[in-house]
Amino acid sequence: MLVRALYLSALWFSLSLLSTLLLGSRLRQRDYTLSFLWLAGVILIGNLVAIFTFGRLLEIFGVSLLAFLFGLYWIVRLQDWNAPGQVTWAMTLMTTGLFVMYTFLLTAFSPLNPLSFIFALLFFFLEAITLMLALAHVHESLDVVCRVEWHRLVEKLEPIPGYLPMVSLQVPAYNEPIEVVQKTLESLAKLDYPNYEVLVVDNNTPLQETWRPLEEICRRLGSNFHCLHLDQWPGYKSGALNFALTQTDPRAEIIGIIDADYEIQPDFLRELVPAFADPQVAFVQTPQDYSDSKGDVFSESMYRGYKYFFEVTMPSRNERNAIIFAGTMGLIRKSTLEEIGGWDEWCITEDAEASLRILKKGYQSLFINKPFGSGMMPINFEGLKKQRFRWCFGGIQILKKHWEALMPWAHWVDPQNKLTLAQRYYYLIGGLGWFSDVFNLLFAFFLVIGAIFNLFSSPIKIRPLTDTVLIIPAVFLVLHIMRFLWVLRNRLRVSLGMAVATMYNFFSLGWVVTLACIQGLVQREGVFLRTPKASNSSKAWHAIQVTQWETAISITSVLVGILAFGFDRNWRTFTLCILLIWQGSLYLAAPLYSLLSLKREAAMGVVARVTEQGKPMLEQLAARWVMVFSMVLIGTFSLIRFLPSPTGFPDYARFLPFDLSSEQILGHQPAGTSFVTAPTAAQAPAITATATIPSTASGIATIKVDSANCREKPRGGADKVVFLYKGQQVEILGRNDDPINPWWYVKIPDGSGYCWVWSLTTTMNGKLEDIPIVK
Amino acid sequence: MQKKLQSEVSQLLEEVGQLTRQGEREKAYQTSLQATSLAPDEPRAWYLRAQAASSTEEKLMCLSRAVSLDPNYPELQSELRSSIQALLKQEPFLAYVHENEEFYQVRSGRDLLINVPKNRTFETPYLKKKPELTQPAFRWLNYSVLALLLGGVGAVLLAPIAAFQALRLQAASPSREDRMRLWIVLILSMIIWLAAIPISWLLLIRFYPS
Repeated sequence: MLVRALYLSALWFSLSLLSTLLLGSRLRQRDYTLSFLWLAGVILIGNLVAIFTFGRLLEIFGVSLLAFLFGLYWIVRLQDWNAPGQVTWAMTLMTTGLFVMYTFLLTAFSPLNPLSFIFALLFFFLEAITLMLALAHVHESLDVVCRVEWHRLVEKLEPIPGYLPMVSLQVPAYNEPIEVVQKTLESLAKLDYPNYEVLVVDNNTPLQETWRPLEEICRRLGSNFHCLHLDQWPGYKSGALNFALTQTDPRAEIIGIIDADYEIQPDFLRELVPAFADPQVAFVQTPQDYSDSKGDVFSESMYRGYKYFFEVTMPSRNERNAIIFAGTMGLIRKSTLEEIGGWDEWCITEDAEASLRILKKGYQSLFINKPFGSGMMPINFEGLKKQRFRWCFGGIQILKKHWEALMPWAHWVDPQNKLTLAQRYYYLIGGLGWFSDVFNLLFAFFLVIGAIFNLFSSPIKIRPLTDTVLIIPAVFLVLHIMRFLWVLRNRLRVSLGMAVATMYNFFSLGWVVTLACIQGLVQREGVFLRTPKASNSSKAWHAIQVTQWETAISITSVLVGILAFGFDRNWRTFTLCILLIWQGSLYLAAPLYSLLSLKREAAMGVVARVTEQGKPMLEQLAARWVMVFSMVLIGTFSLIRFLPSPTGFPDYARFLPFDLSSEQILGHQPAGTSFVTAPTAAQAPAITATATIPSTASGIATIKVDSANCREKPRGGADKVVFLYKGQQVEILGRNDDPINPWWYVKIPDGSGYCWVWSLTTTMNGKLEDIPIVK
Repeated sequence: MQKKLQSEVSQLLEEVGQLTRQGEREKAYQTSLQATSLAPDEPRAWYLRAQAASSTEEKLMCLSRAVSLDPNYPELQSELRSSIQALLKQEPFLAYVHENEEFYQVRSGRDLLINVPKNRTFETPYLKKKPELTQPAFRWLNYSVLALLLGGVGAVLLAPIAAFQALRLQAASPSREDRMRLWIVLILSMIIWLAAIPISWLLLIRFYPS
């Protein structure tokens, strides 16, 4: 029942998502009647398919009723979305829930030894968390594309006559090229706003010739430009900005942080300052744009990657007053910043951290989706890696510091915490979301280890590889990729090719995000990533060198996948091979983009300066945790083999969910039997039309492989009837006439029929000559 | 004696204020010198001396002294800020010396030590936060979550320890926040314990598959 419900739900999920991909962004109206009809339509079409393939009428009716009620609940809850979005969300949630239930039952009742069970349990938790994070992504995507009614969307603020509070724009700089800062300051001098000051805060730049010219530039640009060099200053950028607060003009009401490489449009302050007329608004953020995004695939995909955050994540968060303050191109109320105690000098993403503390006090935030300036993106893939490391590390630091404030019980502990449920959800998911890449690496690792052990003929059993375990995740994977590309295309207005390139740009950073997550958990203070230094060899070689770990992981995954299939050709190793090639491709994107970034590096013609601050962390050292963990995992995996596995078919295994074969799912099974996992006894003669079926058993076959297919006919390609698991015993009623490589004609244990199992997958108790030949 | 001194200082300070208002800067300065030598711990004396001082350096020295005595002294911050700004116009260099909850101490390019008040709420830096009372209970709770993931048997034993710790610490007159935290540990440890029972049963039956 559960498996059939799962397949039916997956069918609805596929139908609803595919229809959303086609119409989700076009349908700009919300209407209860349309939503109900849409829900009913998806359910009915799915049911129609199920009726002719794997479904049972009564079950279909029951599950459909539940799905309909569940869908209705979400239609009412998500009133601001259009019908495709509402139905897709309900079906995604339902399918994920059913799949988690299925995998739990599979984990709980599969015949496994104790150590295998512990691994299976860990794997289950890992899978469940990954699916929850995927759900969060689905929600975010649907929220921005299928949303018809926006409540907090502000495209342009109306100017308020006479409201021109003083703004202090602070430009933190560390080791920045003077020509870059000069451009920034000159753009600030052109601001169309009468009441502002600019405070350039250079911290710890070691060479005088780098920071001294700033003084002259400030003097030249006017009396409202002030320059300050802070020496041997602790707390990095936040430390410097905290001191800058003491030097801010006391009349200033608003503070703006501008990165040293940003060129600002003249209307920046005039357009944004009116937001602060509302005393509840504590900060305003606008998108960070980049001027150097054209010219090559790497630059463009990196640009779209940045844009995704401001086009998808921030609008969704803004609807719940849960945006983050992203530093540059944002304004913050000075009194609020003083009230929260300034910037956190411990956190390397101090801007995002500050926004959480501000929201905790119950203030409002506002995202205005209009860029007012543009900066420079990292010069190459190495720079991008380091930047992503910093962001992720900071995200984990925030999670470590504020986890309690994000919990459901936060209000009981601290009544002063005014974070709403939605704000807590977004900040929690924002932090946990980084771990998706850790889980992805773990999955790749599990796959590689599983395939290697398989190659050496000592398979490690963690979980039976049923068809459902392969099919449903494959459906999830394909649909989620399609959904991601759809969001990219819709929100960023890019071609399919660029959407794929952007997607792979995200994937290419999986390894560095994993390292940052681990370092974020184990390090007390901020660190920055140091990649291998350039040797005298070519730039191309260096580009590969900075992605040596990603390259190694991708080559290993692809090679192991090919070997697994090459040495043992069957559909499972083929699936394993495909999965490993997919995983490999994710990491292979890193060296590929690193090489592609050479073009950008050459075009930019500047040498990247060291602008990172903190404790340096060599990539090799950062990776040692991954290596240690891998070794421990391999060691423990090996132990599984030394523990005895269940010899028979244990009692508890009877609770295992019955699986559907791919033939049943596709409807190749005869109509009358398509609903059950095995054919009925009445059908057995039809399998072998001329068979003489013995009534008594001539022997007992015990399954010796993890799971064996019991088929309709005595040959490998014949349709599957049922799975038999390791240790399961079946009565042998007959055999085919091949004495060297016989197939046993067996009775299905629950008495529901007969099927053929290959002798090589079993151990037989009896004499071959005593077994009658079934013709 | 003390009262006599106080009244003498107040009189001097009144005089400094009056002289400054009248534009008698030199006289005001001399009087403020007397005031600061008689009452070196009086922020007002240093503040008034700063107002009367002619050089930026001395002004900053006096204001810094006043900051160290009373960082919240009215008008001090704006006076100090404009003095620092004047200094930075000549030499935009400040080096960090040390800081406390109230102010920074910095060294200017001319080797002048300046105290700059932090005009913001003090937040204990995350890494310097003291261990909380509830820490032992949370530690056992974390162990039991880990044990739950690893087959559940450990959680059956560890979750009651977490619950016991939570109850034990309730007796240590915790703050309202900590009391709530301990209740949460208690509830969570009970939930973990309840979840651990079926999971550990699933693990244990693997030892006796028949």
